[in-house]
Amino acid sequence: MIEPTPLQVTLETVRFWAIVALLGLGVFFTLVSTIGVLRLPDIYARAHTASQTDTLGAGFALAGVALAFGWQHAAVYTVLLLFFVFITNPTAAHAIARSAAETGVEPILAEEGEPDDSTAETEGETR
Amino acid sequence: MTPVPLEDVFLAAAGLFVVLAIAMFYRAVVGPTTQDRLLAVNVLGTNTVVILALLAAGLDQRWFLDVALIYALLNFLMSVAISKFTVERGGVL
Amino acid sequence: MAVERLLVPLSDTVTVRQTVGYAVQSGLERADSLECHLVVALPYDDDVPESARQHEDADDLLSRARNWVEEDAGEADVTIETATLGTDEYLFGPRDYAEIFDAYAAENDLDRVVLDPEYEPGVTARILQPLERELDRIGLAYDEAPVERSTRRGRLTGSEDFDRLFATFMISYGFYLVLGDPTYWFDLVTGAAVAGIVAISLARVTFSVPLDRVQSPIRVVRFALYIPYLLWEIVKANIAVSAVILRPSMPIEPTLTQVDSRVRSGLPLTALANSITLTPGTLTVRATDQRLLVHTLIPAAREDLFDGGLERGIRFVFYGRESAAIPSPRERDDAEIVGGDEL
Repeated sequence: MIEPTPLQVTLETVRFWAIVALLGLGVFFTLVSTIGVLRLPDIYARAHTASQTDTLGAGFALAGVALAFGWQHAAVYTVLLLFFVFITNPTAAHAIARSAAETGVEPILAEEGEPDDSTAETEGETR
Repeated sequence: MTPVPLEDVFLAAAGLFVVLAIAMFYRAVVGPTTQDRLLAVNVLGTNTVVILALLAAGLDQRWFLDVALIYALLNFLMSVAISKFTVERGGVL
Repeated sequence: MAVERLLVPLSDTVTVRQTVGYAVQSGLERADSLECHLVVALPYDDDVPESARQHEDADDLLSRARNWVEEDAGEADVTIETATLGTDEYLFGPRDYAEIFDAYAAENDLDRVVLDPEYEPGVTARILQPLERELDRIGLAYDEAPVERSTRRGRLTGSEDFDRLFATFMISYGFYLVLGDPTYWFDLVTGAAVAGIVAISLARVTFSVPLDRVQSPIRVVRFALYIPYLLWEIVKANIAVSAVILRPSMPIEPTLTQVDSRVRSGLPLTALANSITLTPGTLTVRATDQRLLVHTLIPAAREDLFDGGLERGIRFVFYGRESAAIPSPRERDDAEIVGGDEL
């Protein structure tokens, strides 16, 4: 087996930590998004945070996958996958929100003058 | 060199995503509205796509990406179809 | 002696001649004399190079229509007025058109609007149905001219069809080869066959508006420039929303806002609404014409929305750099916070 040059070793290490960082960020934003969907008070508010999974959660994780595959066909695939997620998910989120609006789900709104209105109704407030 | 094999990192990340997906099930089960469930299932779908991609890298199975791609498209179709269905119940999509 | 006063909005369609004919005939049936106002509504885009040509086309159409009315009227007592509307304000959606027609009708004391079923002002897609809805809302009487539609798409030239076929073919072929292997002969052949079938069957569906050989590729390039900006906005918004959600007190302030965007219906509006939804903190609940109903989660996201950064980006993609520099929705007074009743 040929010994890898020091440069190659450094590059491998950099790539490794870059992938770890990307995956970590992806997991972090998906975690935030999951917490948001569980904590937020109504469907409209949850839809905001659901788009975090779709954007940065999936984005960072798939970027990590693309980096692992390197300059290969599979990396192009991953970018294409991300592109589809980016195009289709806001449309789906919009369809869901609109269907909620049309079936008469009332949004919880912070009215002018009583900004604490919404936070008072949230589950798990101040622990 | 790297402290752990790269494959293990991907598998660990996939495991974390599975845990988050299970947490998301709470919203899918509890609701309360159909749209809440739908939203949770939509996020679950995105999670599944990411998990498939991570497994593709972790197990070095390229063809998992094909499955992920189709899954992403089906997930989109499902969300739009059910959204439409809840508005015009029984209506032709 | 009764005078029938008609407003006839014109655009260069195959049925415009029949519409004018119907307007004159129906007007003279109802009253002895007729006052016929022929108008062309121009979307205000003086910064666009085509603007001067649009004005010429409008004048040309008006003078042709004047001849038609004189020809149809014969001996009857007909007064003809012509006007170009919308030269001093933005016209983007059916609502704007309906309002400008109403204003003109009120000013000149007109009774009725005669609509061309193929009415297609400016470069927007056909807007007859939403326009009729808006006219209903405003309460301006209108009448749709009964026309023969046999020549409906006769205006399309062969080169436009070819452009659509070619673009659809290339997109599907490219997609096929990305999924397959571009160096393997079998994929090349089957890809060409599949892309051919897709292009022939779906070209009309994919591109409902004719492509422009110069503008469309430029738009694709500008869209590629827009993506990094959008990503940057998404990252900023993600961090802001994450900070709010992770704080135990969770200081959210959900509001519904209504924004009148300055982009045309169709693809530009879809792109804008999707960009808004993709940015966490803002969610498009409904998009009617160019009016967007946006749910915002935190004040910072609402401020960003009212500053109109994404809207400028979309205008840059579709109309070019000069058009991007427009006042923000807040400065235009087009953004407001509304209650839950607007849903």
